[in-house]
Amino acid sequence: MENLTALLENAPVLVDGVNSLEALGAVESELLGRRSLVAELQRGIGKLPPEERPGLGRAIQQARRVLGEMIETRRGHLKAEGERMMLESDRVDVTLPALEYPEGYTHLITSTIEEVCDIFIGLGYRVVGGPEAESGIYNFDALNTPPTHPSRLESDTLYLDWGDPEDEILLRTHTSPMQARYMEKHDPPVYVVVPGKVFRADTPDATHSPVFHQIEGLAVDESLTFSDLRGTLAYFAREFFGSERRIRMLPNFFPFTEPSAEMHASCFSCEGGGACRVCGGVGWIELLGCGMVDPNVFEWVGYDPGEVSGFAFGMGVERIAQVRHGVSPLRHFFDNDLRVLSQFR
Amino acid sequence: MRVSLNWLADYIDLPSWEPTGLAGVLESLGHEVEEIDRLAPQFHGVVTARVLEVDPHPRADRIRVCRVTAGDEPMTVVCGAWNFEAGATVALALPGSTLSGGMEIGRRSIRGVVSNGMICSERELGLGEEAEGILVLDSAVPPGEDLASFESLTDTVLGLSITPNRPDVMSYVGVARELAAYYQVDYRLPVAEFPQLDATPRIGISIEDPSGCYRFVAREVWGCQVSSSPFWMRTRLRASGQRPISNVVDITNYVLLELGQPIHAFDLEELEGAGILVRRARSGERLTTLDGVDRALTPSDLVVADGERASALAGTMGGGASEVTEKTTAVLIEAAAWDPPTVLHMSKRHGLRTEASARFERGVDPQLPAQAATRAAQLVSRLTGGQALREVKDIIAREDRLVPATITLELREAERILGPGFDSGRVVDLLSRLHLGVDGEDPISVEVPTFRPDLRRPIDLVEELARLWGYNNFSERVPRGPGGGRSIPQRRTRTLRQTLGGLGFSESVSLSFMRATEIEIWGWEHEDERTHHIRLKNPLREEESILRTTLLPGLLRVAKYNHSHGLEDIAIFELGRVFLDRPHPVLPKVPDQPERMGILATGRLGGTGLGHTPRPVDFFTLTAVWRALCNHLDLREWRLESIEEAGWHPARAARLILDGKPVGTIGEIHPAVVRGAGLSGRVIAMEVELGPLVADRDHWQFRAPSVFPPYTFDLAFETPENLGADDLLAATGRAAGALLESARVFDEFRGEPLAEGRKSLAINYTLRAPDRTLSGEESGKALRSMVDAARRLGAELRGEL
Repeated sequence: MENLTALLENAPVLVDGVNSLEALGAVESELLGRRSLVAELQRGIGKLPPEERPGLGRAIQQARRVLGEMIETRRGHLKAEGERMMLESDRVDVTLPALEYPEGYTHLITSTIEEVCDIFIGLGYRVVGGPEAESGIYNFDALNTPPTHPSRLESDTLYLDWGDPEDEILLRTHTSPMQARYMEKHDPPVYVVVPGKVFRADTPDATHSPVFHQIEGLAVDESLTFSDLRGTLAYFAREFFGSERRIRMLPNFFPFTEPSAEMHASCFSCEGGGACRVCGGVGWIELLGCGMVDPNVFEWVGYDPGEVSGFAFGMGVERIAQVRHGVSPLRHFFDNDLRVLSQFR
Repeated sequence: MRVSLNWLADYIDLPSWEPTGLAGVLESLGHEVEEIDRLAPQFHGVVTARVLEVDPHPRADRIRVCRVTAGDEPMTVVCGAWNFEAGATVALALPGSTLSGGMEIGRRSIRGVVSNGMICSERELGLGEEAEGILVLDSAVPPGEDLASFESLTDTVLGLSITPNRPDVMSYVGVARELAAYYQVDYRLPVAEFPQLDATPRIGISIEDPSGCYRFVAREVWGCQVSSSPFWMRTRLRASGQRPISNVVDITNYVLLELGQPIHAFDLEELEGAGILVRRARSGERLTTLDGVDRALTPSDLVVADGERASALAGTMGGGASEVTEKTTAVLIEAAAWDPPTVLHMSKRHGLRTEASARFERGVDPQLPAQAATRAAQLVSRLTGGQALREVKDIIAREDRLVPATITLELREAERILGPGFDSGRVVDLLSRLHLGVDGEDPISVEVPTFRPDLRRPIDLVEELARLWGYNNFSERVPRGPGGGRSIPQRRTRTLRQTLGGLGFSESVSLSFMRATEIEIWGWEHEDERTHHIRLKNPLREEESILRTTLLPGLLRVAKYNHSHGLEDIAIFELGRVFLDRPHPVLPKVPDQPERMGILATGRLGGTGLGHTPRPVDFFTLTAVWRALCNHLDLREWRLESIEEAGWHPARAARLILDGKPVGTIGEIHPAVVRGAGLSGRVIAMEVELGPLVADRDHWQFRAPSVFPPYTFDLAFETPENLGADDLLAATGRAAGALLESARVFDEFRGEPLAEGRKSLAINYTLRAPDRTLSGEESGKALRSMVDAARRLGAELRGEL
């Protein structure tokens, strides 16, 4: 019994003194193996007087359990330590950019179009496209633009050497021809947005390109008024440029809308004044042209201008993207420099 | 149009002249203010002085010694200018004064004579460009006044952009009329009462072509002396952006700006014959205009002719032969009403846009010429000392143009477009303020003066109501449409774009043009539709002279651009229309313009990492992209057919067959084309019709994954060189039937021990049944039938089963 007590007293030093699973195995067999003290006492138990046997038996069992737990605890520690050492040897420089996946980017023109369309889809609009090579009929005549109008001159519009010269086949100068094409084929109510490429007789420079993109909007219904135009554009400005935006509308002139207006949104980058990159300190950003659909357009497509009313607007995609992201000059939209494309989000 | 507020104040009294507020009002009326230019004297210490004596300099020929007074003791000033004599009132920079540009004036000796300051020119004062002589002021100006305190020199100028439908606002009186409507005050016209001479005009007027000229008014002023115009007029013209020239020319510009009526002054002595004829030009006729350009005229040009020759381009520019010069002693003042399209086309044709043509092409009030000619005659007689003839030649060829239009406006129409609140009280008030004649309550009969050619229909009046009421005073309401959103092809196009982005391709957006040389390098046959391009009638540059028939040249151009900026690895795609020389399949009259998908890559593509080299692109990069696209777009029935086509690598190009129809080409671009495009190395590309890729399809159907174990094995076949891997996969797959889960080629090789013309393909197959574990017997049977199927194609199993 004294031996057993001494063993239990000495065992922790022995067990905690080992630093490997192998050494722990050796200690384990020394303490609990066939030649250990506890095994020896166990074997000798039969030689004791019967009244002493249960006491010693319990003491041996107790010692076995204590030693066993002590060893298993140590083993657990050693295993965990081993794994920790192994993982430590796996340490990486977390800041090292060791792997790059290929990434492609959607063009800013496309993502801008998609975002604007999403806003109008939320208002119940349909997205439609149309031909880029158009006839003068849809590009001008249907839109109340008389044959003498300056926009029809070759200095403004790119004409194609194709088809019957009478038809004036041209590259559409705006997305507005789809107003006429869509209304011709569909009865009111009409709520559509038309994104797409448009063309002008402009030599490329910082602010001009022979090709750019527009998004046309058209709403025709039984009782749409100027307030509906205002509300819709204010809604768009807040969705696209931020919920704090206010709008102002200034009278302007377009052949196919009357009243016609230019829409400005309050600058999102400044409070007005100073040298603001976005608005030049005016506090307002010119965003788009709009107006109530001219009765002549309704007549052309076969609607009764006395029965329906509606509004239309047309915004420059590069323009609004440029305002929001500062992409300038304009050629960066069309050079397709991968260093620029990879900035597009 | 530049509007000097000093000048504008002649015609209207405003409650406030604060420029920013005034600009806001003008903008709310639809007249954009592009700039607010604040003018102030750039000098100080300059006073008015009277010249008492002018004597030669004792030791210099080209300068003179003047005795001048600035109100007190006369003093001596040396001056090098010769455009004045004793009695003139001049601007004297006293010693200690500063001139424009910072030059300081002191007392100094000039060749032995002490000069007490300097007599200044306009340029030295920063008032103008004139540096030839000194500034001579009106003799009424008393000496000793501080020139910087002259009110006319401190001014604010608003740069207005007037929309083309509002020619009536392109003048000081027009701007005053708009402000009068806004502020509900009166505006004033200049008073033109002056002594006139009773004599018979020398020149008669006739209009041969009433389609081009509605009205022609002529007034003669005799006994003129042409010199520079007075300081006040020069200051006003300069503030308005006009360069002063001489009194007569300045007066024509002054009246143009004041009333909006372009005026032309002819030298009466230089006009040939006794009459002016307004006619179309004769073919072959020529005219040297005031800008010195000798112009060939066409029969659609309208001219003012004297005798036999054209003397001015109607409403655009005068001719050099009858130009007013210093020698002119009598002038003929022309104020006419020209047909707007005639002037527009003439000015465009001759590339000649002038202040006059800009107004005529928009429409000048045909009531205005008489009033304007009289105003011009008044100013000419006053400023040149001439005598204006009382008799006016006023030829009206189109009486109808002088009649005011009448519009009937129903109140319902105003409310329908503008919303509630536009009752008869408000409508009548707003229209009256716009100087329209208003009669009745509903409907309202509105008489439109001839200066508003833009008002012809009820809707035009509705716009005026909204404009004067204030666009920003309308409430906001957001109507909702019936929905519709994006179509299925639009949604599938978005999926396609996102898939390509995920594969590492960036979207490119090109102009839709190409150069002829960019298509020639491909070497396509004449029969190829891509060689039949559509030309622009009026291209601006060679780069933008023909429409693209394929997306490939644009993609090569982008690759080249990036390559020349040092980028080696390029992966791009473009979605867009090409233009083909054939009728559109659905839309009448326009050419076919299908949408295409183009993809191009060169260099390397794929993930890069430490110890990992990305794969250089080649044909198989493309087929991998194509497969991924087909998976994401759920395109099931497709195959590749090897082709040999000009412009492509003869052994690495294929036609894409989708649902049994050819939809595009995929391959490596021929090295010759690559070189021609200024690139090198392997360039891979694909061009596919977009329509079939994104067209609506049957929905894919779910297959429950099997819970039973797979049977996976590899088979290697020795096959003839010309057997396509696809064919072997398809045949063995069919043989395995419904058990086949996947089949993937993992090795291809040629050479020893295989014979020439033979190759080995190793394929990894997985068989699995949905409802049971495959028995050895079942799998063995499947294996044997797969090997048999391969054998029928000439492929032999390598090794034993």
